[in-house]
Amino acid sequence: MIDAEWSEHCSYKSSKALLKTLPTSGSRVLLGPGYDAGVLDAGDGCVVSLHIESHNHPSAVDPYGGAATGIGGVLRDILSIGTRPIALIDVLRFGNIGESQRSQWLFRNVVRGIADYGNCVGVPTVAGEVEFDESFERNCLVDVACVGVGRRRDLVLAQAKNPGDIVVMAGGSTGRDGVRGATFASKSLARDADSERSSVQVPDPFMKKLLIDSILDALETGEVKGMKDLGGGGLSSALPEIASKGGTGVELDIRRLSLREPDVTPLEAMISESQERMLLVLDRVRHKKALSILRKYGVPATIIGHVTDDGDITVKDGADVVARLPADFLANPPLIPRDSRAPVRQSDWVEPESPPDLSKVLLSLLSSLNVGGRRWIYEQYDHEVGVRTVLKPGQADAALLKLPNGRLLAVKADGNSAASALDPYSGASGCVAEACRNVVSVGAEPVAMVDHLQFGDPGDARVYWGFEEAVRGVADYCRGVGIPVVGGKVSFYNEDQLTGRPIKPTPIALVAGLVDKDERFVGPALKGRGDRIVLIGKTSMELGGSAYHSTVFGVQNGVAPRPSPQEDRRTNSAVLRLIRAGLAESVHDCSKGGMAVALAETCMGRSIGAEVELQGAPATRMGPASLLFSESHGRYIVSVRKPNLSKAGGLLARARVPYAVVGTAGGRSLRISLRGRRLVDVDVAKIIEGKESSISRALGEEQ
Amino acid sequence: MNVAVVRFPGSNCDLDVVKALEGTKGVRPKLVWHEHGGLDRFDAVVLPGGFSFGDYLRAGAIAARSRSVGEVRRLADRGVPIFGVCNGFQTLVEAGLLPGSLLRNSGLRFVCRWVTLRVENNRTPVTGRCSKGDLLRMPVAHGEGRFFLPSAELDSLKKDGRVVFRYAQSTERDGRGCNPNGSLDGIAGICNKEGNVVGMMPHPERAVDSLLDPEGRSDGSVIFQSLASALGGAS
Amino acid sequence: MIISNKAAAKDPEGDVIYQDLVKSRFSQAESVRVGKLLRFKVKAAGSLEAQRLVQTMCDELRIYNPAAHQCHVSPGRLSE
Repeated sequence: MIDAEWSEHCSYKSSKALLKTLPTSGSRVLLGPGYDAGVLDAGDGCVVSLHIESHNHPSAVDPYGGAATGIGGVLRDILSIGTRPIALIDVLRFGNIGESQRSQWLFRNVVRGIADYGNCVGVPTVAGEVEFDESFERNCLVDVACVGVGRRRDLVLAQAKNPGDIVVMAGGSTGRDGVRGATFASKSLARDADSERSSVQVPDPFMKKLLIDSILDALETGEVKGMKDLGGGGLSSALPEIASKGGTGVELDIRRLSLREPDVTPLEAMISESQERMLLVLDRVRHKKALSILRKYGVPATIIGHVTDDGDITVKDGADVVARLPADFLANPPLIPRDSRAPVRQSDWVEPESPPDLSKVLLSLLSSLNVGGRRWIYEQYDHEVGVRTVLKPGQADAALLKLPNGRLLAVKADGNSAASALDPYSGASGCVAEACRNVVSVGAEPVAMVDHLQFGDPGDARVYWGFEEAVRGVADYCRGVGIPVVGGKVSFYNEDQLTGRPIKPTPIALVAGLVDKDERFVGPALKGRGDRIVLIGKTSMELGGSAYHSTVFGVQNGVAPRPSPQEDRRTNSAVLRLIRAGLAESVHDCSKGGMAVALAETCMGRSIGAEVELQGAPATRMGPASLLFSESHGRYIVSVRKPNLSKAGGLLARARVPYAVVGTAGGRSLRISLRGRRLVDVDVAKIIEGKESSISRALGEEQ
Repeated sequence: MNVAVVRFPGSNCDLDVVKALEGTKGVRPKLVWHEHGGLDRFDAVVLPGGFSFGDYLRAGAIAARSRSVGEVRRLADRGVPIFGVCNGFQTLVEAGLLPGSLLRNSGLRFVCRWVTLRVENNRTPVTGRCSKGDLLRMPVAHGEGRFFLPSAELDSLKKDGRVVFRYAQSTERDGRGCNPNGSLDGIAGICNKEGNVVGMMPHPERAVDSLLDPEGRSDGSVIFQSLASALGGAS
Repeated sequence: MIISNKAAAKDPEGDVIYQDLVKSRFSQAESVRVGKLLRFKVKAAGSLEAQRLVQTMCDELRIYNPAAHQCHVSPGRLSE
């Protein structure tokens, strides 16, 4: 039990001290890190919950089941605090699916696993992000985040406060599946993943759907005093947590568990990670209604023990006590100090000369795997169920969901492994910056984030240095822009065992934002011919880790873009004011592929071209290709109706935000010039065709 | 008029349908758990979408043998309007109340996308307020929606005017093919001989709120308004 | 060749078919397990060789996922 509960996966023994440096408080924060999910006050008694989980190691062995059970896990987290899961967001990393059969197999099955599970439980998958890079060839990353909604007075905590209350196991039966999963997740993948027999869990979305429906109904009875999902470490992890948080103990009898096989040992039962199980703490006297609701849905529920006042976790096998340990001791493992060492970097990078035909470069970027469209993926996900999805995948920079109180919730997750590999501080702060921009682009004010930091072996000093830098990047940026981190996750030991190489550091940020009742929201697509195009934010020579570098030169080197929280705060609030004042017809941020790709993307939605002259664009000195493809943060492309132009300009000038009117919407092609010299001239139809076909082409499928 | 929305374990569009009906004048929806029965007290029954019984075995196969669907069968014989959406359509087909089968999509993948439907028959309880040829925008979301029927039966289905909806091409945007699942003859919805049992794969309940419609329309409303009219006896 | 979830693993589909369909109507039934059947037609000298050949195909081509499934190959003559 100690082995499981003190594993890296459950205990965060290598990361806890550093994670404490993240800003976690804010006026909307009701629950921060340390709970199953972060909870925000959305106003009018309505709360929003957020959580992110990964299922990297199981997905590398069994991509279909691993991805599916990953969703199952994050849904349980949202459910266990008493909120209804309303949206899923997935962030995926694979090797090059255009070249590797293995990566294709992982990719197809991970997407299918997410689709089959999410679609069946009736929670829409509304947003996501994907990158393809060789470093994920054998260790793909499968991160799933979930958003929940509920009422403030219905929140339930993972705690057992009242001695005498009963402890109930609800949901699936307990088997050997996933035994030692938590310790497995805390180790590098075995050389032959196939030989890991016990780590695979069988997903059962149908049981999860019943669990969600029945538990949400049972909460209405007021009989549920505490709740905890069973994830990594199983009972051995969940019991100490509810007891330690409640200042109590728990006594349980293993024989009361519904076991799938007769010969499961007490130890296996305690650390089993069988899916679709929830632990409920019910009132000692009033619990009949809750139990009968579970029965109505056909969800098995058995009383396995009760809350005590002795502070111990006591495990009995019939009459015999097989384990007794103080809950606090189990729940609070000792922390491990780790060494860190900055890698030596060459700083003599010289920007290579760009190819002469920049139209061709733009098209090759648009159709590259890391920039191309994601329709192949998101069409497999039901993104409409629940009738809340206002802005859908592929439609805008962030998903927008209708909340019961009339406000709209924007969510988006982002990461940038290439930039993080060059400079983990910039990469990590950059992914927060990008997710914030995406949320701002639709008209929402960023209110909170959860992060997910994925690295190799923390025992490797260079890996651990990257982790430190990433945490520092997230902390500094969030503090600078005033966004609390309400939860997160760390995943170590992500490395390719065949080559021994760690994955590229992969910090992920999921940002949530709110649009007030009756406030405006916008999409990225140019709307009207004749509308003026305004470029907001300054471009610097920041091509390190850019899509341009990897697509054209096959390199990832140079200066990674570093966001400035102070400038971003000003810019974001100015863009929000433009939207709210009704001055912005469309807003799109510049990210992967830089300004040129962003401009091309604004043309796609309504097949409207644009004529752009970059002479006045705020930028440091650089060549035309760098200007087009640099991935500097803090930039937006906004279209404004001609009569509103002076108002919009005035607003931006007063906010001290650098901007320039660079062009006009119209025509059937995107034309970009610099000081009269034509750099790019591409048909919008070609832009759409290139962008939409990238994944199908890599998979060798017809469109 | 009272409309039952049957909830099976695994239904997930049940609340969405209730919401759509709540916003429709002249009907009162009620969620009915599949084992509880008593459907004969209602003026119409809707089988909503989702994954009843996990879609295990075949989509709709287990629900089709449930107590509720037994009742639905008797109500259908009496001419009571029965409306199946997505998984509800699959269930009606599995129960033999509608002909044909709904096979795995031709792309072998689940597909969620907005499509255009053409109304082919406006004499059913859910299309009475439409005109023949009307184009409606709403989303599909299914993995098994490819309608199939042997050719002789298909001919008589068409001859009897029992094709209610077809996938149609409306704008340039749909250029990549308007039939999302390879359905025979582009069929998206059908009815029985008497016209009181209708099934369709697309989700009208998801196209009621104009805020959620990419084009700001609300084409799904007409389906529920038609049902209200049919029950009220109005045109 | 039959692919099914490993014996000790859950089989949610089989469980639901048993619980919600079969059990109440046929009390003699005790459980249901679901699998996928693949019928291979191969050239081989005898049934043992055919069985080995198919097993090799299934292993090498990852026709089942050994981490999640078990695979059972049994030889038989095609009647058609």
